[in-house]
Amino acid sequence: MLARWGVPGLGHVDLRRRSEKYLGENNVHLLGEETINDNNRRFFEACRTLGYRVEQFPVNVKGCQGSGLCNLGCPNAAKQGTHRVQLPAAEAAGVEVVTNCKVERIGERDCLATVTNPPFGEPSHWPEGRYRIRARAIVVAAGAVNSPALLLRSQLPARLPALGRYFTAHPALILVGEHDRPISNFYGHPKSYYCDHFVESAKFLLETCMYFPFTTAKNLIGFGAEHARLMSRMDRMQMILVLAVDPALAENRIAVDAAGDPVVHYRFTDEVMDALIESQRVAARIFFAAGCTRVHAPAGTGFFIGANEADRLEELITREAFKLGKVSISSAHLMGGCRMGTDPATSVTDAWGQVHGVPWLFVADASLFPMCSEINPYVTIMALADRVAERVRTRLPGLPAA
Amino acid sequence: MAGRSNARVPPLSERQWAFLMRVAVRIVPAVADLDAAGRSRFVAIVSKALAERPRPIQHQFGLFLGVLRWAPFLRFGSPFDRLPPEDEDTVLRWFLDAPVAKLRSGFWALRALAFMGYYGQPEVWPSLRYTPSFRGNEMLHG
Ligand SMILES: Cc1cc2nc3c(=O)[nH]c(=O)nc-3n(C[C@H](O)[C@H](O)[C@H](O)COP(=O)(O)OP(=O)(O)OC[C@H]3O[C@@H](n4cnc5c(N)ncnc54)[C@H](O)[C@@H]3O)c2cc1C
Ligand code: SF4
Repeated sequence: MLARWGVPGLGHVDLRRRSEKYLGENNVHLLGEETINDNNRRFFEACRTLGYRVEQFPVNVKGCQGSGLCNLGCPNAAKQGTHRVQLPAAEAAGVEVVTNCKVERIGERDCLATVTNPPFGEPSHWPEGRYRIRARAIVVAAGAVNSPALLLRSQLPARLPALGRYFTAHPALILVGEHDRPISNFYGHPKSYYCDHFVESAKFLLETCMYFPFTTAKNLIGFGAEHARLMSRMDRMQMILVLAVDPALAENRIAVDAAGDPVVHYRFTDEVMDALIESQRVAARIFFAAGCTRVHAPAGTGFFIGANEADRLEELITREAFKLGKVSISSAHLMGGCRMGTDPATSVTDAWGQVHGVPWLFVADASLFPMCSEINPYVTIMALADRVAERVRTRLPGLPAA
Repeated sequence: MAGRSNARVPPLSERQWAFLMRVAVRIVPAVADLDAAGRSRFVAIVSKALAERPRPIQHQFGLFLGVLRWAPFLRFGSPFDRLPPEDEDTVLRWFLDAPVAKLRSGFWALRALAFMGYYGQPEVWPSLRYTPSFRGNEMLHG
Protein backbone atom coordinates (compact mmCIF):
# COMPACT_ATOMS: atom_id res chain seq x y z
CA MET A 1 0.00 0.00 0.00
CA LEU A 2 2.79 2.44 0.93
CA ALA A 3 4.44 1.89 -2.46
CA ARG A 4 1.14 2.88 -4.11
CA TRP A 5 0.87 5.94 -1.85
CA GLY A 6 4.41 6.97 -2.78
CA VAL A 7 4.85 9.58 -0.04
CA PRO A 8 8.58 10.32 0.38
CA GLY A 9 9.51 9.99 4.05
CA LEU A 10 6.67 7.60 4.89
CA GLY A 11 8.33 4.20 5.13
CA HIS A 12 7.12 0.67 5.74
CA VAL A 13 9.44 -0.05 8.68
CA ASP A 14 8.36 3.10 10.52
CA LEU A 15 4.63 2.53 10.00
CA ARG A 16 4.90 -1.14 10.90
CA ARG A 17 6.70 -0.36 14.16
CA ARG A 18 4.03 2.13 15.17
CA SER A 19 1.19 -0.18 14.09
CA GLU A 20 2.63 -3.00 16.18
CA LYS A 21 2.69 -0.73 19.21
CA TYR A 22 -1.07 -0.21 18.89
CA LEU A 23 -1.80 -3.82 17.99
CA GLY A 24 -0.29 -4.58 21.41
CA GLU A 25 -1.89 -1.70 23.35
CA ASN A 26 -5.34 -2.43 21.94
CA ASN A 27 -5.11 -6.20 22.43
CA VAL A 28 -5.46 -7.05 18.75
CA HIS A 29 -5.40 -10.83 18.33
CA LEU A 30 -6.98 -13.75 16.52
CA LEU A 31 -10.11 -15.20 18.11
CA GLY A 32 -10.10 -18.87 19.06
CA GLU A 33 -11.81 -21.35 16.79
CA GLU A 34 -14.50 -22.06 19.41
CA THR A 35 -15.87 -18.51 18.97
CA ILE A 36 -16.18 -18.65 15.18
CA ASN A 37 -19.81 -18.97 14.09
CA ASP A 38 -21.17 -20.67 10.94
CA ASN A 39 -21.50 -17.38 9.05
CA ASN A 40 -17.75 -16.87 9.33
CA ARG A 41 -16.58 -20.49 9.17
CA ARG A 42 -18.55 -21.23 6.02
CA PHE A 43 -17.07 -18.17 4.31
CA PHE A 44 -13.57 -19.33 5.18
CA GLU A 45 -14.16 -22.89 4.04
CA ALA A 46 -15.86 -21.80 0.81
CA CYS A 47 -13.00 -19.46 -0.09
CA ARG A 48 -10.56 -22.30 0.53
CA THR A 49 -12.62 -24.66 -1.64
CA LEU A 50 -12.66 -22.12 -4.45
CA GLY A 51 -8.94 -21.43 -4.12
CA TYR A 52 -9.40 -17.79 -3.03
CA ARG A 53 -6.87 -16.30 -0.62
CA VAL A 54 -8.60 -15.89 2.75
CA GLU A 55 -7.22 -14.71 6.10
CA GLN A 56 -8.48 -14.41 9.64
CA PHE A 57 -8.97 -10.86 10.93
CA PRO A 58 -7.17 -10.01 14.13
CA VAL A 59 -9.63 -8.07 16.34
CA ASN A 60 -9.20 -5.53 19.15
CA VAL A 61 -11.28 -7.14 21.88
CA LYS A 62 -10.85 -8.07 25.53
CA GLY A 63 -13.56 -10.21 27.12
CA CYS A 64 -15.67 -10.38 23.96
CA GLN A 65 -19.02 -12.04 24.69
CA GLY A 66 -19.94 -12.55 21.05
CA SER A 67 -22.98 -10.27 21.05
CA GLY A 68 -22.44 -9.63 17.33
CA LEU A 69 -23.26 -5.96 17.85
CA CYS A 70 -19.81 -4.48 17.05
CA ASN A 71 -21.19 -2.11 14.43
CA LEU A 72 -23.50 -0.49 17.00
CA GLY A 73 -20.84 -0.03 19.67
CA CYS A 74 -19.96 -2.77 22.13
CA PRO A 75 -22.53 -3.37 24.92
CA ASN A 76 -19.93 -5.35 26.90
CA ALA A 77 -17.16 -2.74 26.83
CA ALA A 78 -15.00 -5.41 25.18
CA LYS A 79 -13.99 -3.53 22.03
CA GLN A 80 -10.63 -1.91 22.67
CA GLY A 81 -10.94 1.23 20.55
CA THR A 82 -9.06 4.47 21.15
CA HIS A 83 -11.94 5.58 23.41
CA ARG A 84 -11.17 2.75 25.83
CA VAL A 85 -7.38 2.69 25.63
CA GLN A 86 -5.65 5.83 24.33
CA LEU A 87 -8.11 8.51 25.48
CA PRO A 88 -8.28 7.35 29.13
CA ALA A 89 -4.46 7.08 29.12
CA ALA A 90 -4.17 10.61 27.74
CA GLU A 91 -6.54 11.92 30.41
CA ALA A 92 -4.58 10.14 33.10
CA ALA A 93 -1.45 11.87 31.75
CA GLY A 94 -3.07 15.29 32.14
CA VAL A 95 -4.77 15.85 28.76
CA GLU A 96 -8.08 17.70 29.11
CA VAL A 97 -10.80 16.10 26.99
CA VAL A 98 -13.79 18.36 26.32
CA THR A 99 -16.83 16.49 25.03
CA ASN A 100 -19.67 17.94 22.92
CA CYS A 101 -17.33 20.67 21.76
CA LYS A 102 -17.53 21.53 18.07
CA VAL A 103 -14.67 23.48 16.54
CA GLU A 104 -16.19 25.99 14.14
CA ARG A 105 -13.12 27.67 12.72
CA ILE A 106 -9.37 27.82 13.05
CA GLY A 107 -7.57 31.15 13.07
CA GLU A 108 -3.94 32.18 13.63
CA ARG A 109 -2.98 29.73 16.42
CA ASP A 110 -6.47 29.74 17.86
CA CYS A 111 -9.82 28.20 17.26
CA LEU A 112 -13.44 29.08 17.81
CA ALA A 113 -15.50 26.33 19.41
CA THR A 114 -19.04 25.83 20.68
CA VAL A 115 -19.94 23.61 23.60
CA THR A 116 -23.49 22.28 23.64
CA ASN A 117 -24.99 19.58 25.75
CA PRO A 118 -27.33 17.38 23.74
CA PRO A 119 -29.30 14.77 25.70
CA PHE A 120 -26.90 11.98 24.71
CA GLY A 121 -23.21 11.16 25.03
CA GLU A 122 -20.81 12.17 27.77
CA PRO A 123 -21.89 15.57 29.18
CA SER A 124 -19.28 18.30 28.76
CA HIS A 125 -17.61 19.63 31.89
CA TRP A 126 -17.31 23.02 30.18
CA PRO A 127 -20.46 25.15 30.42
CA GLU A 128 -22.44 25.56 27.21
CA GLY A 129 -21.28 28.51 25.12
CA ARG A 130 -18.74 29.77 22.60
CA TYR A 131 -15.02 29.72 23.29
CA ARG A 132 -11.88 31.05 21.68
CA ILE A 133 -9.00 28.72 22.47
CA ARG A 134 -5.40 29.77 21.92
CA ALA A 135 -2.75 27.13 21.27
CA ARG A 136 0.89 26.81 20.24
CA ALA A 137 -0.06 24.02 17.86
CA ILE A 138 -3.40 22.77 16.60
CA VAL A 139 -3.96 19.15 15.53
CA VAL A 140 -7.13 18.54 13.54
CA ALA A 141 -8.56 15.01 13.83
CA ALA A 142 -12.22 15.39 12.88
CA GLY A 143 -12.25 12.59 10.27
CA ALA A 144 -12.09 12.57 6.48
CA VAL A 145 -15.26 14.62 6.00
CA ASN A 146 -15.05 17.06 8.87
CA SER A 147 -11.31 17.81 8.91
CA PRO A 148 -11.27 19.10 5.32
CA ALA A 149 -14.55 20.93 5.99
CA LEU A 150 -13.14 22.61 9.10
CA LEU A 151 -10.02 23.72 7.24
CA LEU A 152 -12.11 24.90 4.27
CA ARG A 153 -14.23 27.16 6.46
CA SER A 154 -11.16 28.52 8.27
CA GLN A 155 -9.03 31.39 7.06
CA LEU A 156 -5.65 29.74 6.70
CA PRO A 157 -2.47 31.62 5.83
CA ALA A 158 -1.71 29.25 2.91
CA ARG A 159 -3.16 28.35 -0.47
CA LEU A 160 -4.19 24.69 -0.46
CA PRO A 161 -5.71 23.75 -3.83
CA ALA A 162 -5.86 20.03 -2.92
CA LEU A 163 -7.81 20.64 0.30
CA GLY A 164 -10.95 18.45 0.36
CA ARG A 165 -9.92 16.61 -2.80
CA TYR A 166 -8.93 12.97 -3.46
CA PHE A 167 -11.62 11.72 -1.10
CA THR A 168 -12.12 7.94 -1.15
CA ALA A 169 -14.74 5.85 0.62
CA HIS A 170 -14.43 2.07 0.03
CA PRO A 171 -17.97 1.97 -1.42
CA ALA A 172 -19.61 -1.06 0.15
CA LEU A 173 -22.35 -3.59 -0.52
CA ILE A 174 -23.92 -5.95 1.99
CA LEU A 175 -24.74 -9.23 0.26
CA VAL A 176 -27.00 -12.01 1.47
CA GLY A 177 -27.19 -15.72 0.75
CA GLU A 178 -29.87 -18.01 2.18
CA HIS A 179 -29.44 -21.50 3.60
CA ASP A 180 -32.26 -23.99 3.76
CA ARG A 181 -31.85 -24.32 7.54
CA PRO A 182 -30.69 -22.07 10.38
CA ILE A 183 -26.99 -21.36 10.79
CA SER A 184 -25.30 -19.54 13.67
CA ASN A 185 -24.88 -15.99 12.42
CA PHE A 186 -25.96 -13.28 14.87
CA TYR A 187 -24.35 -15.01 17.87
CA GLY A 188 -20.57 -14.74 18.04
CA HIS A 189 -18.14 -12.07 16.82
CA PRO A 190 -19.41 -10.92 13.41
CA LYS A 191 -16.19 -10.28 11.53
CA SER A 192 -13.55 -13.00 11.52
CA TYR A 193 -12.33 -13.39 7.93
CA TYR A 194 -11.46 -11.40 4.84
CA CYS A 195 -10.63 -12.36 1.28
CA ASP A 196 -8.22 -10.03 -0.51
CA HIS A 197 -7.77 -12.36 -3.48
CA PHE A 198 -9.34 -9.85 -5.89
CA VAL A 199 -7.79 -6.60 -4.68
CA GLU A 200 -5.18 -6.45 -7.43
CA SER A 201 -7.15 -7.99 -10.28
CA ALA A 202 -10.64 -6.59 -9.71
CA LYS A 203 -10.27 -3.90 -7.01
CA PHE A 204 -12.48 -5.27 -4.28
CA LEU A 205 -12.20 -6.90 -0.90
CA LEU A 206 -14.66 -9.29 0.76
CA GLU A 207 -15.26 -9.57 4.50
CA THR A 208 -17.60 -11.53 6.70
CA CYS A 209 -20.31 -9.48 8.41
CA MET A 210 -23.69 -9.80 10.05
CA TYR A 211 -26.06 -6.85 10.07
CA PHE A 212 -29.24 -5.93 11.88
CA PRO A 213 -32.80 -6.19 10.56
CA PHE A 214 -33.21 -2.64 9.25
CA THR A 215 -29.74 -2.49 7.69
CA THR A 216 -30.31 -5.87 6.07
CA ALA A 217 -33.76 -4.95 4.75
CA LYS A 218 -32.45 -1.72 3.25
CA ASN A 219 -29.65 -3.54 1.45
CA LEU A 220 -31.96 -5.98 -0.30
CA ILE A 221 -33.46 -4.80 -3.56
CA GLY A 222 -37.23 -4.80 -3.90
CA PHE A 223 -40.14 -4.77 -1.50
CA GLY A 224 -43.36 -6.60 -0.67
CA ALA A 225 -43.94 -10.29 -0.17
CA GLU A 226 -40.67 -11.79 -1.52
CA HIS A 227 -38.58 -9.26 0.38
CA ALA A 228 -40.57 -9.95 3.56
CA ARG A 229 -40.20 -13.72 3.12
CA LEU A 230 -36.42 -13.47 2.97
CA MET A 231 -36.39 -11.10 5.96
CA SER A 232 -38.53 -13.49 7.98
CA ARG A 233 -35.66 -16.00 8.14
CA MET A 234 -32.70 -14.02 9.39
CA ASP A 235 -31.42 -17.16 11.10
CA ARG A 236 -30.77 -18.66 7.65
CA MET A 237 -28.80 -15.76 6.28
CA GLN A 238 -25.13 -15.71 5.44
CA MET A 239 -23.67 -12.27 4.76
CA ILE A 240 -20.65 -10.85 2.96
CA LEU A 241 -19.49 -7.24 2.94
CA VAL A 242 -17.88 -5.97 -0.26
CA LEU A 243 -15.50 -3.02 -0.19
CA ALA A 244 -14.48 -1.47 -3.51
CA VAL A 245 -10.92 -0.14 -3.62
CA ASP A 246 -11.79 3.21 -5.17
CA PRO A 247 -9.36 5.52 -6.99
CA ALA A 248 -8.31 8.86 -5.46
CA LEU A 249 -9.65 11.48 -7.88
CA ALA A 250 -9.37 15.24 -7.52
CA GLU A 251 -13.05 15.67 -8.35
CA ASN A 252 -14.20 13.38 -5.52
CA ARG A 253 -14.10 15.96 -2.81
CA ILE A 254 -15.43 17.53 0.33
CA ALA A 255 -16.77 21.07 -0.08
CA VAL A 256 -18.66 23.30 2.34
CA ASP A 257 -22.06 24.89 1.80
CA ALA A 258 -23.02 28.47 2.64
CA ALA A 259 -23.43 27.51 6.31
CA GLY A 260 -19.97 25.90 6.36
CA ASP A 261 -21.39 22.38 6.62
CA PRO A 262 -19.64 19.63 4.66
CA VAL A 263 -20.98 18.48 1.30
CA VAL A 264 -19.54 15.31 -0.23
CA HIS A 265 -19.14 15.23 -4.02
CA TYR A 266 -18.55 11.65 -5.10
CA ARG A 267 -18.80 10.12 -8.56
CA PHE A 268 -18.82 6.36 -9.04
CA THR A 269 -16.31 5.60 -11.78
CA ASP A 270 -16.83 2.76 -14.27
CA GLU A 271 -13.95 0.98 -12.54
CA VAL A 272 -15.77 1.07 -9.19
CA MET A 273 -19.08 0.01 -10.75
CA ASP A 274 -17.33 -2.93 -12.46
CA ALA A 275 -15.72 -3.91 -9.15
CA LEU A 276 -19.09 -3.82 -7.38
CA ILE A 277 -20.70 -5.99 -10.08
CA GLU A 278 -17.89 -8.54 -10.25
CA SER A 279 -17.78 -8.75 -6.44
CA GLN A 280 -21.41 -9.91 -6.46
CA ARG A 281 -20.57 -12.77 -8.83
CA VAL A 282 -17.63 -13.83 -6.68
CA ALA A 283 -19.71 -13.52 -3.48
CA ALA A 284 -22.44 -15.63 -5.09
CA ARG A 285 -19.85 -18.36 -5.86
CA ILE A 286 -18.73 -18.24 -2.24
CA PHE A 287 -22.32 -18.41 -0.95
CA PHE A 288 -23.09 -21.43 -3.11
CA ALA A 289 -19.82 -23.14 -2.17
CA ALA A 290 -20.80 -22.47 1.47
CA GLY A 291 -24.07 -24.34 1.01
CA CYS A 292 -26.56 -21.53 0.32
CA THR A 293 -29.57 -22.57 -1.71
CA ARG A 294 -30.37 -19.05 -2.92
CA VAL A 295 -28.49 -15.78 -3.27
CA HIS A 296 -29.81 -12.23 -3.47
CA ALA A 297 -27.64 -9.90 -5.58
CA PRO A 298 -28.44 -6.16 -5.88
CA ALA A 299 -27.40 -6.38 -9.54
CA GLY A 300 -29.42 -9.56 -10.07
CA THR A 301 -31.94 -9.69 -12.89
CA GLY A 302 -34.34 -11.35 -10.41
CA PHE A 303 -34.78 -11.26 -6.64
CA PHE A 304 -33.07 -14.62 -6.11
CA ILE A 305 -30.49 -16.69 -7.94
CA GLY A 306 -30.92 -20.38 -7.19
CA ALA A 307 -28.06 -22.85 -6.68
CA ASN A 308 -29.16 -24.54 -9.93
CA GLU A 309 -28.33 -21.29 -11.76
CA ALA A 310 -24.85 -20.94 -10.28
CA ASP A 311 -23.20 -21.50 -13.67
CA ARG A 312 -25.04 -18.50 -15.19
CA LEU A 313 -23.86 -15.74 -12.87
CA GLU A 314 -22.42 -13.60 -15.69
CA GLU A 315 -25.82 -13.45 -17.28
CA LEU A 316 -27.86 -13.14 -14.05
CA ILE A 317 -25.80 -10.39 -12.39
CA THR A 318 -25.55 -7.48 -14.81
CA ARG A 319 -24.53 -3.88 -15.05
CA GLU A 320 -27.95 -2.95 -16.50
CA ALA A 321 -29.70 -4.11 -13.32
CA PHE A 322 -27.29 -2.17 -11.09
CA LYS A 323 -28.56 1.38 -11.00
CA LEU A 324 -27.37 4.18 -8.76
CA GLY A 325 -30.22 5.44 -6.62
CA LYS A 326 -31.76 1.96 -6.60
CA VAL A 327 -29.01 0.06 -4.82
CA SER A 328 -27.88 0.72 -1.24
CA ILE A 329 -24.17 1.51 -1.41
CA SER A 330 -22.75 2.50 1.94
CA SER A 331 -19.41 3.60 3.31
CA ALA A 332 -17.76 3.29 6.72
CA HIS A 333 -14.16 3.95 5.61
CA LEU A 334 -13.83 7.61 4.74
CA MET A 335 -10.34 8.58 3.63
CA GLY A 336 -8.44 11.49 2.08
CA GLY A 337 -9.23 15.17 1.73
CA CYS A 338 -6.08 16.37 3.54
CA ARG A 339 -3.74 13.96 1.76
CA MET A 340 -0.05 13.76 2.57
CA GLY A 341 2.57 14.50 -0.07
CA THR A 342 5.37 16.83 -1.00
CA ASP A 343 3.72 19.00 -3.64
CA PRO A 344 1.33 21.65 -2.24
CA ALA A 345 -0.51 21.58 -5.58
CA THR A 346 -1.62 17.97 -5.09
CA SER A 347 -1.40 17.46 -1.32
CA VAL A 348 -2.35 19.28 1.88
CA THR A 349 0.19 18.08 4.45
CA ASP A 350 3.71 16.74 4.47
CA ALA A 351 4.55 13.14 5.42
CA TRP A 352 4.28 14.12 9.11
CA GLY A 353 0.82 15.64 8.91
CA GLN A 354 1.92 19.28 8.96
CA VAL A 355 -0.24 21.46 6.73
CA HIS A 356 1.94 22.90 3.94
CA GLY A 357 3.04 26.42 4.80
CA VAL A 358 1.45 26.46 8.29
CA PRO A 359 4.04 25.22 10.81
CA TRP A 360 1.63 25.20 13.80
CA LEU A 361 -1.21 23.28 12.08
CA PHE A 362 -1.37 19.47 11.80
CA VAL A 363 -3.84 16.81 10.68
CA ALA A 364 -3.96 13.39 12.33
CA ASP A 365 -6.73 11.22 10.96
CA ALA A 366 -7.95 9.26 7.91
CA SER A 367 -8.04 12.42 5.82
CA LEU A 368 -4.24 12.10 5.53
CA PHE A 369 -4.54 9.04 3.25
CA PRO A 370 -3.27 9.99 -0.22
CA MET A 371 -5.28 7.06 -1.65
CA CYS A 372 -7.54 4.55 0.01
CA SER A 373 -6.09 1.65 1.96
CA GLU A 374 -6.48 -1.89 0.68
CA ILE A 375 -7.80 -3.12 4.00
CA ASN A 376 -9.70 -1.64 6.97
CA PRO A 377 -7.98 1.60 7.93
CA TYR A 378 -8.11 1.94 11.74
CA VAL A 379 -4.58 0.76 12.63
CA THR A 380 -3.00 2.77 9.82
CA ILE A 381 -4.79 5.90 11.06
CA MET A 382 -3.41 5.30 14.55
CA ALA A 383 0.11 4.76 13.23
CA LEU A 384 -0.08 7.99 11.20
CA ALA A 385 -1.43 9.91 14.21
CA ASP A 386 1.50 8.57 16.20
CA ARG A 387 3.91 10.11 13.67
CA VAL A 388 2.07 13.42 13.88
CA ALA A 389 2.27 13.38 17.70
CA GLU A 390 6.01 12.79 17.46
CA ARG A 391 6.45 15.69 15.07
CA VAL A 392 4.40 18.04 17.27
CA ARG A 393 6.55 17.09 20.26
CA THR A 394 9.79 17.82 18.40
CA ARG A 395 8.38 21.14 17.20
CA LEU A 396 7.24 22.08 20.69
CA PRO A 397 9.99 20.84 23.00
CA GLY A 398 8.13 22.10 26.08
CA LEU A 399 5.44 19.41 25.75
CA PRO A 400 5.65 16.38 28.04
CA ALA A 401 7.28 13.29 26.52
CA ALA A 402 5.09 10.39 25.35
CA MET B 1 -49.55 11.99 15.32
CA ALA B 2 -47.43 10.53 18.13
CA GLY B 3 -43.85 10.75 16.91
CA ARG B 4 -44.12 14.08 15.18
CA SER B 5 -43.43 15.92 18.41
CA ASN B 6 -39.76 15.22 17.63
CA ALA B 7 -39.79 17.65 14.74
CA ARG B 8 -39.40 21.35 15.33
CA VAL B 9 -41.28 21.96 12.11
CA PRO B 10 -43.41 18.90 11.26
CA PRO B 11 -41.78 17.49 8.10
CA LEU B 12 -45.03 15.92 6.81
CA SER B 13 -48.70 16.94 6.85
CA GLU B 14 -51.48 14.63 8.13
CA ARG B 15 -52.36 13.84 4.56
CA GLN B 16 -48.78 12.97 3.64
CA TRP B 17 -48.60 10.70 6.68
CA ALA B 18 -51.73 8.85 5.64
CA PHE B 19 -50.24 8.39 2.18
CA LEU B 20 -46.88 7.24 3.52
CA MET B 21 -48.58 4.63 5.72
CA ARG B 22 -50.53 3.34 2.74
CA VAL B 23 -47.37 2.92 0.65
CA ALA B 24 -45.51 1.41 3.64
CA VAL B 25 -48.00 -1.48 3.65
CA ARG B 26 -47.03 -2.33 0.06
CA ILE B 27 -43.33 -2.17 0.97
CA VAL B 28 -43.60 -4.15 4.22
CA PRO B 29 -46.91 -6.03 4.20
CA ALA B 30 -46.67 -6.70 7.96
CA VAL B 31 -47.12 -2.96 8.64
CA ALA B 32 -50.84 -3.62 8.09
CA ASP B 33 -50.82 -6.02 11.04
CA LEU B 34 -49.14 -3.68 13.51
CA ASP B 35 -51.23 -2.94 16.58
CA ALA B 36 -51.70 0.63 17.83
CA ALA B 37 -48.44 0.54 19.81
CA GLY B 38 -46.53 -0.83 16.82
CA ARG B 39 -47.98 1.82 14.54
CA SER B 40 -47.04 4.60 16.89
CA ARG B 41 -43.51 3.18 17.20
CA PHE B 42 -43.38 3.14 13.38
CA VAL B 43 -44.46 6.79 13.24
CA ALA B 44 -42.02 7.78 15.99
CA ILE B 45 -39.04 6.14 14.24
CA VAL B 46 -39.85 7.62 10.84
CA SER B 47 -40.63 11.06 12.30
CA LYS B 48 -37.33 11.16 14.13
CA ALA B 49 -35.40 10.14 11.01
CA LEU B 50 -37.16 12.79 8.95
CA ALA B 51 -36.80 15.48 11.61
CA GLU B 52 -33.03 14.89 11.69
CA ARG B 53 -32.70 15.55 7.97
CA PRO B 54 -31.98 19.08 6.68
CA ARG B 55 -35.04 21.07 5.70
CA PRO B 56 -34.34 20.87 1.91
CA ILE B 57 -34.21 17.06 2.11
CA GLN B 58 -37.50 16.99 4.04
CA HIS B 59 -38.98 19.22 1.39
CA GLN B 60 -37.70 17.01 -1.45
CA PHE B 61 -39.15 13.97 0.27
CA GLY B 62 -42.55 15.67 0.61
CA LEU B 63 -42.39 16.53 -3.10
CA PHE B 64 -41.53 12.95 -3.96
CA LEU B 65 -44.62 11.72 -2.10
CA GLY B 66 -46.67 14.09 -4.26
CA VAL B 67 -45.05 12.78 -7.44
CA LEU B 68 -45.67 9.19 -6.40
CA ARG B 69 -49.29 9.98 -5.60
CA TRP B 70 -50.07 11.66 -8.89
CA ALA B 71 -47.76 9.95 -11.42
CA PRO B 72 -50.10 6.93 -11.82
CA PHE B 73 -52.76 9.30 -13.15
CA LEU B 74 -50.98 9.28 -16.51
CA ARG B 75 -51.27 5.51 -16.92
CA PHE B 76 -54.19 4.48 -14.72
CA GLY B 77 -56.30 7.64 -14.66
CA SER B 78 -56.31 7.74 -10.83
CA PRO B 79 -53.91 8.73 -8.10
CA PHE B 80 -51.89 6.04 -6.34
CA ASP B 81 -54.19 5.79 -3.35
CA ARG B 82 -57.23 4.94 -5.46
CA LEU B 83 -55.55 2.01 -7.22
CA PRO B 84 -56.02 -1.67 -6.42
CA PRO B 85 -53.00 -3.20 -4.63
CA GLU B 86 -51.63 -4.97 -7.76
CA ASP B 87 -51.50 -1.68 -9.65
CA GLU B 88 -49.91 0.05 -6.66
CA ASP B 89 -47.15 -2.59 -6.82
CA THR B 90 -46.75 -2.03 -10.56
CA VAL B 91 -46.24 1.68 -9.92
CA LEU B 92 -43.72 1.03 -7.14
CA ARG B 93 -41.78 -1.41 -9.32
CA TRP B 94 -41.61 1.27 -11.98
CA PHE B 95 -40.19 3.77 -9.47
CA LEU B 96 -37.69 1.18 -8.20
CA ASP B 97 -36.16 0.97 -11.69
CA ALA B 98 -37.18 4.43 -12.95
CA PRO B 99 -35.10 5.83 -15.84
CA VAL B 100 -34.36 9.02 -13.86
CA ALA B 101 -31.95 8.64 -10.91
CA LYS B 102 -33.79 11.25 -8.79
CA LEU B 103 -36.99 9.18 -8.94
CA ARG B 104 -35.09 6.01 -7.99
CA SER B 105 -33.48 7.87 -5.06
CA GLY B 106 -36.86 9.18 -3.94
CA PHE B 107 -38.25 5.68 -3.87
CA TRP B 108 -35.07 4.43 -2.17
CA ALA B 109 -35.68 6.97 0.62
CA LEU B 110 -39.31 5.98 0.99
CA ARG B 111 -38.41 2.29 1.06
CA ALA B 112 -35.65 2.92 3.61
CA LEU B 113 -38.05 4.83 5.89
CA ALA B 114 -40.66 2.07 5.70
CA PHE B 115 -38.02 -0.56 6.51
CA MET B 116 -36.66 1.59 9.32
CA GLY B 117 -40.12 2.13 10.82
CA TYR B 118 -40.87 -1.59 10.83
CA TYR B 119 -37.57 -3.46 11.13
CA GLY B 120 -36.19 -0.83 13.52
CA GLN B 121 -38.64 -2.06 16.17
CA PRO B 122 -36.97 -4.66 18.42
CA GLU B 123 -40.49 -5.94 19.17
CA VAL B 124 -40.72 -7.46 15.66
CA TRP B 125 -37.31 -9.14 15.70
CA PRO B 126 -38.43 -12.48 17.14
CA SER B 127 -40.83 -12.84 14.20
CA LEU B 128 -37.77 -12.61 11.90
CA ARG B 129 -36.05 -15.28 14.00
CA TYR B 130 -33.53 -12.63 14.99
CA THR B 131 -32.96 -12.88 18.74
CA PRO B 132 -29.56 -11.35 19.55
CA SER B 133 -28.05 -11.64 23.01
CA PHE B 134 -25.39 -9.59 24.79
CA ARG B 135 -23.85 -12.97 25.65
CA GLY B 136 -23.93 -14.46 22.16
CA ASN B 137 -21.02 -16.85 22.69
CA GLU B 138 -23.07 -18.74 25.27
CA MET B 139 -25.86 -19.20 22.72
CA LEU B 140 -23.34 -20.18 20.03
CA HIS B 141 -22.67 -23.43 21.77
CA GLY B 142 -26.31 -24.15 22.53
C1 LIG C 1 -19.87 0.89 11.62
C2 LIG C 1 -18.39 1.03 11.36
C3 LIG C 1 -17.57 -0.09 11.47
C4 LIG C 1 -16.20 0.03 11.23
N1 LIG C 1 -15.40 -1.09 11.37
C5 LIG C 1 -14.07 -0.98 11.18
C6 LIG C 1 -13.22 -2.11 11.34
O1 LIG C 1 -13.66 -3.23 11.65
N2 LIG C 1 -11.88 -1.94 11.14
C7 LIG C 1 -11.35 -0.73 10.78
O2 LIG C 1 -10.13 -0.65 10.59
N3 LIG C 1 -12.14 0.34 10.62
C8 LIG C 1 -13.48 0.26 10.81
N4 LIG C 1 -14.28 1.36 10.64
C9 LIG C 1 -13.66 2.61 10.19
C10 LIG C 1 -13.00 3.36 11.32
O3 LIG C 1 -13.87 3.41 12.44
C11 LIG C 1 -12.68 4.77 10.82
O4 LIG C 1 -11.90 4.67 9.66
C12 LIG C 1 -11.91 5.56 11.85
O5 LIG C 1 -12.61 5.65 13.08
C13 LIG C 1 -11.65 6.97 11.32
O6 LIG C 1 -10.86 7.64 12.24
P1 LIG C 1 -10.68 9.21 12.16
O7 LIG C 1 -9.85 9.59 13.31
O8 LIG C 1 -10.29 9.59 10.80
O9 LIG C 1 -12.16 9.80 12.34
P2 LIG C 1 -13.27 9.54 13.45
O10 LIG C 1 -13.03 8.25 14.17
O11 LIG C 1 -14.56 9.73 12.75
O12 LIG C 1 -13.03 10.70 14.51
C14 LIG C 1 -13.35 12.04 14.24
C15 LIG C 1 -13.89 12.67 15.49
O13 LIG C 1 -13.95 14.08 15.30
C16 LIG C 1 -15.19 14.57 15.80
N5 LIG C 1 -15.49 15.82 15.08
C17 LIG C 1 -15.92 15.99 13.82
N6 LIG C 1 -16.03 17.28 13.51
C18 LIG C 1 -15.65 17.97 14.60
C19 LIG C 1 -15.54 19.36 14.89
N7 LIG C 1 -15.84 20.30 14.01
N8 LIG C 1 -15.14 19.71 16.15
C20 LIG C 1 -14.83 18.77 17.08
N9 LIG C 1 -14.90 17.44 16.84
C21 LIG C 1 -15.29 17.04 15.61
C22 LIG C 1 -16.16 13.43 15.55
O14 LIG C 1 -17.27 13.53 16.41
C23 LIG C 1 -15.29 12.21 15.84
O15 LIG C 1 -15.33 11.89 17.22
C24 LIG C 1 -15.65 1.28 10.88
C25 LIG C 1 -16.48 2.40 10.79
C26 LIG C 1 -17.83 2.29 11.03
C27 LIG C 1 -18.71 3.52 10.93
S1 SF4 D 1 -19.05 -9.25 19.44
FE1 SF4 D 1 -18.35 -7.11 19.27
S2 SF4 D 1 -19.91 -5.94 20.34
FE2 SF4 D 1 -20.18 -8.06 21.01
S3 SF4 D 1 -18.95 -8.31 22.88
FE3 SF4 D 1 -17.64 -8.87 21.16
S4 SF4 D 1 -16.57 -6.97 20.64
FE4 SF4 D 1 -18.34 -6.39 21.87
